[in-house]
Amino acid sequence: MLRRALAQSAPPLVTFAAAVVLAELVIRALDVSPLILPRPSAVFAAATSEAGPLLSALGATARAVLAGLLLSSTLGVAAAVALASSPWLKRAFYPYAIFFQIVPIVAIAPLLVIWFGYGPRAVVAAAAVVSVFPVIANTLAGLLSVDPALADLFRLHGASRFATLWKLRLPWALPYLLTGLRIAAGLAVIGAIVGEFVGGGGLGVVVLGAMRQQRTDLVFAAIGYASLLGLALFGAVGLASRLALRHWHASETNR
Amino acid sequence: MGRGVAFALEGVHRSYRSESGGEVAALAGIDLAALESSFVALLGPSGCGKSTLLRLVAGLDRPERGVVRSGGARPAMVFQDAHLLPWRDVLANVELPLELLGQPAPARHARAEAAIAQVGLADAAHRYPAELSGGMRMRASLARALVTEPRLLLLDEPFAALDELTRMALDDELRRLWREAGLTVLFVTHSIAEAAYLAERVVVLSRRPAHVVLDHTLALPAERSAALRAEPAFARELGVLQEALRHGAALPC
Amino acid sequence: MRRTALAVLATLGLLACGGPDPEPGLSLALNWKPEPEFGGLFEAERIGAFAARGLSVERTGGPGAPVVQMVTARQVSFGIASADEVVLARDRGSDIVAIFATYQTCPQGLMTHAARGLASLDALFAAGGTLAVEPGLPYVKFLEQRYGFGALQVVPYSYSIGPFLNDPLLTQQVFVTAEPIAARRAQADPQVFLVADSGYNPYTAVVITHGETLRSDTARVARFVAALREGWQGYLADPGPANALMGPLNPEMDAEAFRLAAAAQQPLIEAAGGAVGSMSAERWAELARQLKELGLVKQAQPADTYFTNPTSE
Repeated sequence: MLRRALAQSAPPLVTFAAAVVLAELVIRALDVSPLILPRPSAVFAAATSEAGPLLSALGATARAVLAGLLLSSTLGVAAAVALASSPWLKRAFYPYAIFFQIVPIVAIAPLLVIWFGYGPRAVVAAAAVVSVFPVIANTLAGLLSVDPALADLFRLHGASRFATLWKLRLPWALPYLLTGLRIAAGLAVIGAIVGEFVGGGGLGVVVLGAMRQQRTDLVFAAIGYASLLGLALFGAVGLASRLALRHWHASETNR
Repeated sequence: MGRGVAFALEGVHRSYRSESGGEVAALAGIDLAALESSFVALLGPSGCGKSTLLRLVAGLDRPERGVVRSGGARPAMVFQDAHLLPWRDVLANVELPLELLGQPAPARHARAEAAIAQVGLADAAHRYPAELSGGMRMRASLARALVTEPRLLLLDEPFAALDELTRMALDDELRRLWREAGLTVLFVTHSIAEAAYLAERVVVLSRRPAHVVLDHTLALPAERSAALRAEPAFARELGVLQEALRHGAALPC
Repeated sequence: MRRTALAVLATLGLLACGGPDPEPGLSLALNWKPEPEFGGLFEAERIGAFAARGLSVERTGGPGAPVVQMVTARQVSFGIASADEVVLARDRGSDIVAIFATYQTCPQGLMTHAARGLASLDALFAAGGTLAVEPGLPYVKFLEQRYGFGALQVVPYSYSIGPFLNDPLLTQQVFVTAEPIAARRAQADPQVFLVADSGYNPYTAVVITHGETLRSDTARVARFVAALREGWQGYLADPGPANALMGPLNPEMDAEAFRLAAAAQQPLIEAAGGAVGSMSAERWAELARQLKELGLVKQAQPADTYFTNPTSE
């Protein structure tokens, strides 16, 4: 299993290493100004020499992202369940759920700071706002696609609405929910950082400060840490997906 | 012997709104009754409303006209697709009806294990549906149907998707379970041979709007074995059914 | 994949070559919207000071424009930046040079509510509350090192005085020609502390150009500075006409705001005993030393690498 994990992660790591080496050579050869595009070696140097502040900032951003995801997944699933329970509710409210997808977070982040004050609460709100729609849309699709024969089976055995929701519809919708979470995870990182631009804290402030001081190497280093966070979340959702679905869903059994 | 009526349909009509907007009559005046512990097969051309009739008996649907009377206790149902919950293993699937009834875990485990053993799946109790063959999934579906010890068992072309040998094996299984439990069976099929082999009585439906073309008690021995399929008596009964089926399929709407 | 690689290489190539040579026309990138801070430029255009010297200057840029990058890449001939940006950029390997300093006294400051009765920056930083400043600003680091931010909640500044108006304990960064005027007009009670009074006083609204431009086009750069100086002399004498030109380009400020800002900046521009815009090596050396002490640059370069006072015959 370890051998398999190594075999799977080797190709992208090799591509990454090759791209880094190529970029380093090209930037050196063309003598590109560090203010425009820093060399990968400079970015790595910044990432290690400033590791302390960067990791601390990463921690703040990560906490906000996790809280935001928790919020968006709970509210998202609840909203999807409500929308799936009644065609009238769905027609009346689903179009407004789309608002959360199209609203530019850069525009409403200042509003969030006004409502929630400076600091982590506004950042969590920003992360939740941008990540809630994929959860709603995907979970709803899952809930609405339950096999009608299985629904008949539950009805036949006199199952209550709650039992049908808990034992049939939610498990059925789980693969869809996990797909939505994969998308939501990356979006939450973006939302948190934009929230931090206005509300303060975390990697967002590091990026702003580095740009102000012409430290493009540090900007890229901060982006690198943010990407690691996104990757870690993506991997966590993938792992959860594998564990939850390994016995039964084609997405995991087809491997 | 004084057996009660397991279910009865009187003058039952059912129509549907078709996709193009018009009304489609599925059942037009069905009268059908069965005594307890009998094995009745429902035979008819595809799309004639056999499944609709089954759902009416199951209580999943209501007729527009006429009356459906059914014994009282909930029937159990088996579909053409095993329809197991893919995220549960066989044991958890089989005990689902008892779980929905609120039975505590130890009791339902025991009864589920018994049902699993009844259908010969004891080794697979902790396997998942994705790992099972079609025949094994159907056995699990049967076990789930039997776990509540129903008085009435409804089956909607359950073995149609399986290969010949598996189908014949499950036919024998079903008869055995019917005999052991003494329950009433209503078995929908479009296979004349299967209807003749399994049932005591075959009801042939016409094509849509369906009504009863033939209600025929088979002149075949009570004990059935694979050898029966080669007997001349069997061929004769097949002929009777085939004739009725052809007649019903050709009737004008 | 190959096409993408070629496109990336082509872009890097363009960047490295520094773009096409500046055409006969010159360009200047602003770092904010048109306002009295750039009054001299607009006045110079208005009175034809550039045309008279055979120059045509195209204005570009705006809020958020990466002026330092644009000048480093020679995408524009000139840009507006502040002196500390010049020192930082040169430390990172950029060859930009300052040629004209609009503000002799840095207009950056902190604005708080007068009702708090704070007499000095020492008192302010001890009193606490919220401090809204752009992360990474060198003078913020200076103030932090000098006074300590322990008693404050530091949050980003988003270029709106809304939070200041709503929070009596909020202090924010300001450009003395802008936010304090707006706050007063919004019936608030701003009290402003100039950063320069604490000892950090970089030249501000500095015109920068690329070292290569300076070396290869020295005469034209000198003519440009002369024209700009002429514009500033006109603007200081009467800002009205140039303000009227800038007004339509900046709908957020009305004529009164322009008038007040022009008046507020006057004392910060006038140089005692020197031409408008001229700079001294001592000031640049002091700035470089301060930035090195703050840990923002690795090396302080010789003062005369940062600037020059171009003169035309």
